[in-house]
Amino acid sequence: MTGGDALRRVLPVLAALAVTAAPLALHLPGWVAALSAAMLLARGVLLWQQRQLPPRWLVALAVVVPLVLLWLTLRTLVGREGGSALLLLLVGFKAFETFSLRDWRVLLALGFFLAATPLLFDQSPLAAAWLVQSLLCLTWAMAALNGRQPLLASLRTTLQALLFSLPLMLVLFVVMPRLPGPLWGMPAADESANSGLAEDMAPGSISQLILNHEPVFTAVFAGPPPPRRDFYWRVMLFDRFDGSRWLNAGALTEPRGQTRGGIPVSYTLTVVPDKGRVPVLDLPGGVAEGLTERAGMVWQQARASDARIRFRADSRAGALLVEPLDAMQHAFYRFLPAGNERALALAASIRARSRDDEAYIRAVLEHFRLESFRYTLSPPPLSGAIVDQFLFETRQGFCEHYASALAFLARAAGIPSRVVVGYQGGEYNSAGEFWQIRSSDAHAWVEVWLASRQAWWRVDPTAAVSPDRIERGVEQAVPAARTAMPMLGGRPPEWMLALRQHWLAANFAWQQWVVGYDAGRQRSLFRSLGLGQEVDVPAVLKGLLAGAVLMVMPFLWWWRQQAKREPLQQGWLLLGRRLRRVEVVIAPSDTPAEVLLRAASLAEAEHGQLAALLEAYACLRYRTSGEASPEAVRCWLRAVRCFRPGRAMNGKTPAGRG
Amino acid sequence: MQSLAFAYRQLNALILGKNDAIKLALACLIARGHLLIEDVPGVGKTTLAHGLARVLGLDYRRVQFTSDLLPADIVGVNIFEREAGTFHFHRGPVFAQVLLADEINRASPKVQSALLEAMEERQVSVDGETHALPQPFFVIATQNPIEQAGTFPLPESQMDRFLMRIALGYPPPQAERALLLGEERRRVMDELVPALSPEQLQQLQAQASRLTVSPALADYVLALLQATRQERRFAQGLSPRAGLALVAAARAWALLEGRDYVLPDDVKAVFPAVAGHRLAAIVPGGDRVPGDELAALVAHVAIP
Repeated sequence: MTGGDALRRVLPVLAALAVTAAPLALHLPGWVAALSAAMLLARGVLLWQQRQLPPRWLVALAVVVPLVLLWLTLRTLVGREGGSALLLLLVGFKAFETFSLRDWRVLLALGFFLAATPLLFDQSPLAAAWLVQSLLCLTWAMAALNGRQPLLASLRTTLQALLFSLPLMLVLFVVMPRLPGPLWGMPAADESANSGLAEDMAPGSISQLILNHEPVFTAVFAGPPPPRRDFYWRVMLFDRFDGSRWLNAGALTEPRGQTRGGIPVSYTLTVVPDKGRVPVLDLPGGVAEGLTERAGMVWQQARASDARIRFRADSRAGALLVEPLDAMQHAFYRFLPAGNERALALAASIRARSRDDEAYIRAVLEHFRLESFRYTLSPPPLSGAIVDQFLFETRQGFCEHYASALAFLARAAGIPSRVVVGYQGGEYNSAGEFWQIRSSDAHAWVEVWLASRQAWWRVDPTAAVSPDRIERGVEQAVPAARTAMPMLGGRPPEWMLALRQHWLAANFAWQQWVVGYDAGRQRSLFRSLGLGQEVDVPAVLKGLLAGAVLMVMPFLWWWRQQAKREPLQQGWLLLGRRLRRVEVVIAPSDTPAEVLLRAASLAEAEHGQLAALLEAYACLRYRTSGEASPEAVRCWLRAVRCFRPGRAMNGKTPAGRG
Repeated sequence: MQSLAFAYRQLNALILGKNDAIKLALACLIARGHLLIEDVPGVGKTTLAHGLARVLGLDYRRVQFTSDLLPADIVGVNIFEREAGTFHFHRGPVFAQVLLADEINRASPKVQSALLEAMEERQVSVDGETHALPQPFFVIATQNPIEQAGTFPLPESQMDRFLMRIALGYPPPQAERALLLGEERRRVMDELVPALSPEQLQQLQAQASRLTVSPALADYVLALLQATRQERRFAQGLSPRAGLALVAAARAWALLEGRDYVLPDDVKAVFPAVAGHRLAAIVPGGDRVPGDELAALVAHVAIP
């Protein structure tokens, strides 16, 4: 390879590597991406100007600096970030010691590994689309590197090759056994990156989430969904108040609750667990596989991971949570720190005129409704005796203010209470027939324990102040939330909403069928395909066998195309392939005489053989004004099959060509 | 065949370091084609034409084309002869076996078309009377591509009448040195011996036209023509007539190579000379296609 020819063949390799590595720039330290891009560019410039490569020892020395930097930045060279960054940097350096055709092929092979790494960070349809594009670019570069076709013609070859491999990919995707857990111990992502619910509840903690329109999870109901007022998704319990915040003290470790009443609802959730926590519709029944139930009927992963999971659950919407409390627990749920005297006084006065606990709670809700409380996203900040301040001075707040105040007032009247945090509501996507719950649906409500029923009773004080919030969602209830939405000037146009719905639906299907194709789904697919009850060796073999038919089809087609070619043409192509093995690359426009010139590097005996073969070919093809005699062609074809250049040479040096 | 090789050797001794151009010129004549030599003055255009005529044993006339030349000056004229009382046709220089038309683009279009018509028809008509031209009949025209002031460039349709256009170019340094040290060219020219008779030449021409062209080779020529028609750099592709010319030239080349069948190599060898002047590039200023573009085109057409 020399001059412009080399440039035409090798520059696509560098370009394909750059395209492949591009998404990594989103996930890796900026300097890693910049340095790698600069190295690929520099290699391209060296090629362009036909300059010498830097000496190998210099490259080897230069590798050390970024590796040390990488260690200082990430404190590791393995794992998701470390490993990907290392691979990317090494690809950049490898380009600097890449010279022969074989080296470039190795570099391209590394590129295929590189193409997979962005998926470790992001498994969205966009990332997958980029992967497909990377594969196209890399394969195209591979075809260009062979230099046997002009660039556009090689695109055709590339597409054909990728199309051929598509059935193989599908079959392997379906049949390869899935591991029940993550493939390898990838360290979980940085916790601060999660925009989930906070570890405690202080005024303002949820209203920040409301501004965030990120999708959190999706739900598909097996039957009709529960009524809108029962769309409560519980995630966390806060059972201790320290004067400024609500916390989870984790006093009860044994889940002992039972449900009573309610409408049975069956549904499937797809969610990325937030520190192992998963949402579940109020109130859940038996716990799903891989999850555990914690006190207060909140669910948690047995082993926390940040991989998206999918599970089926059954709930009873609007049920009572029956749970007898012993004296200690009773006292725990009534505990209040000192302070907030005016609130205590208010509680005492309402208590005095209430018949029982239930009437008291209703009276407090009535108080919220009748007094001039206002539901707003941007309440004035609170400090010190926050309950007093909220109840008597500012009287403006969001769900956490009301939940906090109600739980406080319940405890002040001697009624056990706790705050539940989760999501309320959701948006129905008619394109995908699922419910999308977003960060902006985050909500806090209260559960009070009624001695008369020996059960927890869900009370949502926000509903008392702003029924719209519960019935129609936060966007309707708070004007501020509307203007804070990504589209300025209120609701986006209809077509955009429809587009968004379709995009979400596509995303959902992707999560459901591709990312969410786990061991369980594979098992059920195997059962429905009749491959076997379990994903075991015979079942996989059966699947591969069935898939083999699919895989072989393109090749059958290819063989038929081959067979259609006349034998002379076949032999000519075979000769070209044989020569390519010994790095004699011939162009389609080469005549037999020119092929002989190109093969000047062959050993003398082989060169002689080749000359005879080529001359015979020229005679067979061009000396007749009709078709060559079939016997002569067969004879020639046999001779071509026997011609294996490079054999003798390889035999002498077992290591082969370096 | 030996006589042809002898002719080739003698020409190579006359024009030094221009083997390919000489071979193309010979092939052109064997293919019964007319030759256009486009080059700057002093590189041996006239010497080549003269030499060709001599070694092939043909008689030779030279006409220096100028803007005041009239068709009659080329073709000839009917003159009234008082003694006989009739008109008698006085043959012009076109009645030669080899006509060297020097600086053909200096003559007016009228003269050019008279000549070109004679080239195509191999006969001339004067006052309704047809006069056949001698056999064989070749025109070797030259033109200077650089000096274009006051010239009438040949129109595309007439370019087609020439089978080949070649350029001689400056000789390689080694050859030029030998030229300076060697004998005077005129002496060398005088020493040239006819290598074949006109009859032998005609036999060779007939032999060349009978060389085997396989279907595969025809496919290759078709592919080349198709490529010129699809290439967007050219104003228009090669015509079927150009395809015929290409095959004829390739046959002559194969004959010179001593083969009785035509290989794609032969087509490749003659392609630039045959196609170059027939293809016009769509480049402002550049009216004819340079060799590089033709080479690129050939490199993209697969051999069937």
